[in-house]
Amino acid sequence: MVVRTLKRIFFTLMGAAGVALVLAALFLLTQTVQRSDDFDRLQDVILAINIAGGFILILILIGNLWRLFHDYRENVPGAKLKARMVGMFVGLAVLPLLVVFYFSIQFINRGIDSWFNVQVEEGLDNALTLSRAAIEFRKRQYLFATNQVAQKLANVPDRQLVYELSMLRRESGASEMTLYGDNNRVLATSSDSATASMPKPLTEEVALQMQQNRPFVSLEPLNSGNAEIRTAVAFAYRFNRSRESRTVQAHFPIDERLGNMISSVENSYSEYQQLVFFREDLKDLLTVTLTFVLLLSLLAAIYGAFVLSRRLVAPIQDLVAGTRAVAMGDFDTKLPTPTRDEIGFLISSFNDMTQRLATARREATMSQALVEAERTNLEVILARLSTGVLALESDLKIRTANQASGSILGVNLENRSGEGIREVAKGMPLLEQFVDIACMHLDAGETEWREQIVLRGEVGRRVLTCACTTLPGDDDKAPGYVIVFDDITALLQAQRDAAWGEVARRLAHEIKNPLTPIQLSAERMRRKYLNTMDAEEAQILDRATHTIVQQVEAMKEMVNAFSDYARAPDMDISRFDIDKLAHEIVDLYRAQESNVEIVLTSDPTIPMVEGDAGRVRQILHNLIRNAVEALEGAPDGRIDVQIGAAEIDGVGMFQIKVEDNGPGFSNGSVSQIFDPYVTTKPKGTGLGLAIVKKLVEEHVGTISAKNRSDGGAMISIRLPLNEAAREMMIAKAPGRADNRRERA
Amino acid sequence: MSRPTNNARMNSWYRSAIALLAVLLLGTGLAQDSVEREGYFEVRSAGTQVVDGVHTLDARLQLVLSSEALAALDSGVTLTIELQMQVIRVKRFLPDSVDAELATRFELEYRPLSQRYIVKNLNSADQDSFATLYSALNSLGRVQGLPVIDDELLLADREYRLRVRAMLNTQQYPASLRLLFFWRGQWQLQSEWYEWLLER
Repeated sequence: MVVRTLKRIFFTLMGAAGVALVLAALFLLTQTVQRSDDFDRLQDVILAINIAGGFILILILIGNLWRLFHDYRENVPGAKLKARMVGMFVGLAVLPLLVVFYFSIQFINRGIDSWFNVQVEEGLDNALTLSRAAIEFRKRQYLFATNQVAQKLANVPDRQLVYELSMLRRESGASEMTLYGDNNRVLATSSDSATASMPKPLTEEVALQMQQNRPFVSLEPLNSGNAEIRTAVAFAYRFNRSRESRTVQAHFPIDERLGNMISSVENSYSEYQQLVFFREDLKDLLTVTLTFVLLLSLLAAIYGAFVLSRRLVAPIQDLVAGTRAVAMGDFDTKLPTPTRDEIGFLISSFNDMTQRLATARREATMSQALVEAERTNLEVILARLSTGVLALESDLKIRTANQASGSILGVNLENRSGEGIREVAKGMPLLEQFVDIACMHLDAGETEWREQIVLRGEVGRRVLTCACTTLPGDDDKAPGYVIVFDDITALLQAQRDAAWGEVARRLAHEIKNPLTPIQLSAERMRRKYLNTMDAEEAQILDRATHTIVQQVEAMKEMVNAFSDYARAPDMDISRFDIDKLAHEIVDLYRAQESNVEIVLTSDPTIPMVEGDAGRVRQILHNLIRNAVEALEGAPDGRIDVQIGAAEIDGVGMFQIKVEDNGPGFSNGSVSQIFDPYVTTKPKGTGLGLAIVKKLVEEHVGTISAKNRSDGGAMISIRLPLNEAAREMMIAKAPGRADNRRERA
Repeated sequence: MSRPTNNARMNSWYRSAIALLAVLLLGTGLAQDSVEREGYFEVRSAGTQVVDGVHTLDARLQLVLSSEALAALDSGVTLTIELQMQVIRVKRFLPDSVDAELATRFELEYRPLSQRYIVKNLNSADQDSFATLYSALNSLGRVQGLPVIDDELLLADREYRLRVRAMLNTQQYPASLRLLFFWRGQWQLQSEWYEWLLER
């Protein structure tokens, strides 16, 4: 910004200097053009100033033009307006300048031509001719006088020459008279001036004419500004019969009045001729000067056009830049108010507008932040809820859904906003059933409903309690719906488990106690009366007591099983090798069950696990026994036991999977097989899988059962690998932990 | 027949422009030559002799006026012809130095009334008149016994060279006219330096 300001100041100063130089040069030119001496003295300065000013202006104009061209091509805001204004200003400046220039040239040419008048020229010519005639008359007169002197001197002896020459000079009116002999020798001279110097020898021209015996006469200008007529005549000296050729040269002054007139005519004629000679030069000079002035004025005018247009366009450019900034969202833009005119008012209004926009945006931002905060809080709450919340638009598109809804319905709905719930539900059995039930209500116009629904899936049934209500919509939108649902399967299961536990405890308490006296009584009867009876009765007694004891034993086993189910001893957590444990149990069953093939597949990399080894052993026992019992009578019975480890949702788990190729679970019983007294086997107590489930839940694990697609059943168990994983599972499923604690 | 490409057209245009420029330059050169032939000053011969301890110059100059100078003279414009002389001290290792400079100026003027050419020595104020320009220029071109420098002013053990040239001086004209004369070759009459070793 500072650099830009300095640059602008520099160019402004340069421009001002250029204009000042040009103006100074023009001023000097006007002041000195009429005074040649001043012009001579200052011409170099004027020329230098003009060139410097013109050069500076040209440089600045080139810079300005280049910048304008660049801005125009780059579509810089205001460049086109600036170009138009510069063009307009230049046009306004150039046209008058050209008109003035044209008429000035015409005026100069015609003005100079008017100096030269044919009549004046003729008059000067005539005056010159007249002067010449007058002079010619005098020249002939003096030449005649000189001839007379020469004739007289031809017979004058040498000793009288000086005297005679002096007398003749006076008589003829000459100012100086000299007699020359052979070889340009001065024989005698006479002058009217006492201080006259020695006479000069005859000039070549005179001597040549004398040799040709031609008289010489001419008008000779003098250094003093006057003129004289010089005559020379050659004659033969006859006095001593030598026939020597002699020359007399005489200087005749021209009287002052005639001399002044002649000088005046001659000077006027010469000056006029000089003017005529320099006429075209003068025209050229004035034209060049005027052109120079015009060019400098033009440069100054163009520079002024740039300065003016820049000043006029600058606020508009600021306004455009400010508008763009506002359009880009920068409401803090504040433009400088240049003047108090209409543009200043416009800029003030713009500043007010941006200020109000900034205030409005700040308020909107704050409101939005509040809303966002509320929304975030709500999302956090929804995410933490174990209750599923599903908000739908009026056209059944998902507006929002929390994580629990996805967990309950078996599909992630959090990132499916905007999609139709029917489309999302395709291929998702739980969600599909859920949507069918919901749509049934909504299609029937029921927007406020509450119902407990049962969803059937591969891993069993799920019982949900649902409540639906309308959502308040925007003004231009139809209201949507929000369905709140909770998976109460576990709760119901827990209630059932609790009920069965109570039953088991009571059974153990109420039934187990009488069984021992019954058994003891039967054995006592057998011991006391068997030997006293005859064979037939003894046989009856033996069979009856045996049956009683056997059935009591069976009842004891059943009661013990119930007791085990109801019993919840403390967990004995230790590190053990699950692979080794699995091999021990599988080997035991392989030895006992020769007609069933038991295959154990374990991951050798599985680490040591932390848990209650006894409970895990019981789980494996129960599962394998359950499978063996299911395969009873089957020809090619096969049990696959798989032990592995995996990370499920960031939690390290180990998995026990037991599959068989038996008849599988009966239809509809999959969801209830973990309930006590639910069994598909003729001899089963119905407590095996219930106990397994209880043991798994005590480990905070999960258990699922389903029928295999190619026949048979599969039970899958996932247990935490270690204590840390167990804690994580507890944190994820607090209800289950509470359940566990409650059980403990 | 293939159409000329843009490059070919441009080359043709450039060739034409260059040819036009060459013609203009040639024409300007010829014009310059003709200007130079119209008038010239030349020092034909020059020499000095010592007269009473003073080196005097005898020179012969060829002064041919250009047509424009002649026209100006006939129109009453006084021409000033300057004879410039420089006494240069010869140095062995350093550049030679000009120890003395002097100039003699003559005015040549035509008087329309007497129809005579006047030659005036501006240094001595002597003047002569001539019936013809030839006589006047011949007189101007015959320099005889012009004192140049006193021998006592020169260093005894040094060599000196003297050089002389003649030129048409336009300083007496208005500067505005001189600006015009500057661009006209016919007013740029100046001989080359004529140089010789000063005999002592």
